[in-house]
Amino acid sequence: MTGKGLRAVGGRHPSRWLDPRGRHLGTWAFVLNRLTGLGLVAYLYLHLIVLSTLLRGPEAWDGLVAVFRRPVFLALDVLLVLGLAVHGLNGLRVALVGSGLLVDRHKALLVAAGVLVGLVGLVAAVRTFA
Amino acid sequence: MSEDQPRMVLLRVFRYRSGDEAPRYDEFRVPIGPRTTVLDALLGVRRLQDPTLTLRHSCLHASCGTCGMRVNGREVLACVTRLDGLGDRVVVEPLAGAPVVGDLVVDMEGFYRRLGPSGRPLVRASEQAAPELPDLERFEDCIECGLCLSACPVAATDPRYLGPAALAAAGRLLEEPRGADPAAVLGWVDDAHGAWRCHVAFECSEVCPAGVEPAGAIMGLRRRLLRDRLSRLAGLHDREARP
Amino acid sequence: MDRPHVAIVGGGGTGAALAHDLALRGLRVMLLERGELTSGTTGRHHGLLHSGARYAVADAESAVECIQENRILRRIASGSFEENGGLFVAVTDEDMDYKPGFLAACAACGIPTGELTPAEALQIEPSLNPALKAAVWVPDATMDAMRLPLRFFASARRNGADLCPFTEVTGLLRHGALVTGVAVHDHLSGRDAEVPADLVVNATGPWCERLAGMAGADVPVRPSPGVLLALRGRLCNRVVNRLHPAGDGDIVLPQRALSVVGTSAWVVTDPDDLDVPEEHVQAMYREGARLVPAVAAAGFRAAWSAARPLVGAAGGASSGRQLSRTFKCFDHAVTDGVEGLVTITGGKATTLRAMAEAAADVVCAKLGVQVPCRTRETVLEPHTAYYTGGRAA
Repeated sequence: MTGKGLRAVGGRHPSRWLDPRGRHLGTWAFVLNRLTGLGLVAYLYLHLIVLSTLLRGPEAWDGLVAVFRRPVFLALDVLLVLGLAVHGLNGLRVALVGSGLLVDRHKALLVAAGVLVGLVGLVAAVRTFA
Repeated sequence: MSEDQPRMVLLRVFRYRSGDEAPRYDEFRVPIGPRTTVLDALLGVRRLQDPTLTLRHSCLHASCGTCGMRVNGREVLACVTRLDGLGDRVVVEPLAGAPVVGDLVVDMEGFYRRLGPSGRPLVRASEQAAPELPDLERFEDCIECGLCLSACPVAATDPRYLGPAALAAAGRLLEEPRGADPAAVLGWVDDAHGAWRCHVAFECSEVCPAGVEPAGAIMGLRRRLLRDRLSRLAGLHDREARP
Repeated sequence: MDRPHVAIVGGGGTGAALAHDLALRGLRVMLLERGELTSGTTGRHHGLLHSGARYAVADAESAVECIQENRILRRIASGSFEENGGLFVAVTDEDMDYKPGFLAACAACGIPTGELTPAEALQIEPSLNPALKAAVWVPDATMDAMRLPLRFFASARRNGADLCPFTEVTGLLRHGALVTGVAVHDHLSGRDAEVPADLVVNATGPWCERLAGMAGADVPVRPSPGVLLALRGRLCNRVVNRLHPAGDGDIVLPQRALSVVGTSAWVVTDPDDLDVPEEHVQAMYREGARLVPAVAAAGFRAAWSAARPLVGAAGGASSGRQLSRTFKCFDHAVTDGVEGLVTITGGKATTLRAMAEAAADVVCAKLGVQVPCRTRETVLEPHTAYYTGGRAA
């Protein structure tokens, strides 16, 4: 009679953090951090697999490196640098603010991190392709 | 079109009855004016179009916190959220993270289960212009609306996370104990699912309609916990140095 | 629960306090509210815990009732009020003429007062109109309009009451002229049900005429709304009233980080369709600013209407028992020949407990139950217990 119909509707939804509606800069940073974190971990494993090619001798390795010199892979490299920059700089913000430091400036820190990420990305792109 | 002519807006409203297989969205066209709030529109729908629409409300002025819901995905209090400016199609859904009891009504038991152990009193000291004036009281800012818990991306994945409201209450208790034991409060939040679970998204402070700034409170708790840890470590070093 | 003794219709302050009182006396109580608790009139009021000073001159009985309940509530619901007192502020010569009678009336009603010079008043409340002529301190206080009744609900539930929000009474069960229960629609499940009960209490406030009509009974209650205005900023730290016979916009009080200005009055037929007339909103700004000038430029937060249950004189037969000046009880067996239905109506947010005591006495008398009221001394559960608290065995 009190109608507390506790069905599975509503409640925890593990992918709800990906719902972009109505969210602000801080949540975007959190989402980016999670995605770059996952991406970097995946890259790490890939990197180790690639490195294991060394075990197959210098020819195999040189062949792989030639492939990785192609523009599409260079672009992915820039993306990797961006991912590192995002995760690292935002991580720095999280470490600072999350320890109770510069809390009132957290938005400014976000913007500064964004600017730095942009700069890093620009430099990486120029140095990779120029 | 003259300013006085009501504009029509389409509301897409989340509907659910306990026992339903799945929720659905019903669409209602409602006339709005420059001051029409989401709550005005929903009550109008209930009165004129569908008397089965179920929602919570009480004070109509952002004091009771019962009309929290998501409008176009964003957590708001329906009674003070104007429809004008939200577009021609507005999606209205219940708060996230809590079991839906019916339509826009969610079960607040989880929210209060987290808040309860704080034992925070309703009333706090009020700032006075001059120290020689008599002590004053005021209600704590938090109106227990649950918008913060719904908006928090961490609460979305961790059902044990204490959440912004409970942690902000703990922060208030440390600022103004009113009989509470600060060590007990710190012990309660010094937990992997307490103050340390926050990922510094600050979404809670963005959506709080009452100026509580829960994110700042959480960082304050963490600063305090870190300082205590560091000073304990420093204390240990000193003790070991003595013969 | 087994068949309830009493089915209370209406989940406002009246229903809350009555459920608490009856549950404490050991009766089985079921309370039915069509929406969220206090979503009718109760949740919308400005949050004043009356000292009674406002009524001292024109209505001494109400005033005495208020100051008594003011003290009782501070005891049984301690921690639920901003106990900062209130001020009655004179801004015109007419206000000053009203002052001596006001002070005498308060004294006669047992309401403590304290006179302040304008300088003293401005010192403790700097936001006041600097041109004020006099101020009188009274033991007003501020409450949270929803959370105080929620404490009564929490206590009632703890003592076994079955509280059913989102459960709308769609009709009364009848056996001839006898009301035997209520027919309900549960909005959460979409299902209909019948709830037999020994007695049905109509505590629906401005809707009580509608509910009584379901049994062919009449209650001379008209919905009388008033406009309230919430502004951004805690413009004053305590209740500020105008020192004059009651009028529109003559109270400003704090609600957390907001300030509320009230109120006005008119009469309607449908309490579900309330306007918020712009002229009334402007009147709130205008009159409120005479007490606290910052009102004029304060940011708008909300404007809303709340319908008081206005008890008028009935034509013809008995107009119901006057349980007190502020509230009335209609035993429909006596007034309309309809047994099994009682209407409790009128009252103020401050007097909810007293109203419930009187109504519970009537209910118990009708049911032949002789248990005294204990609500004066029983400390209430915290409001959070409504959401998390269990029930007593």
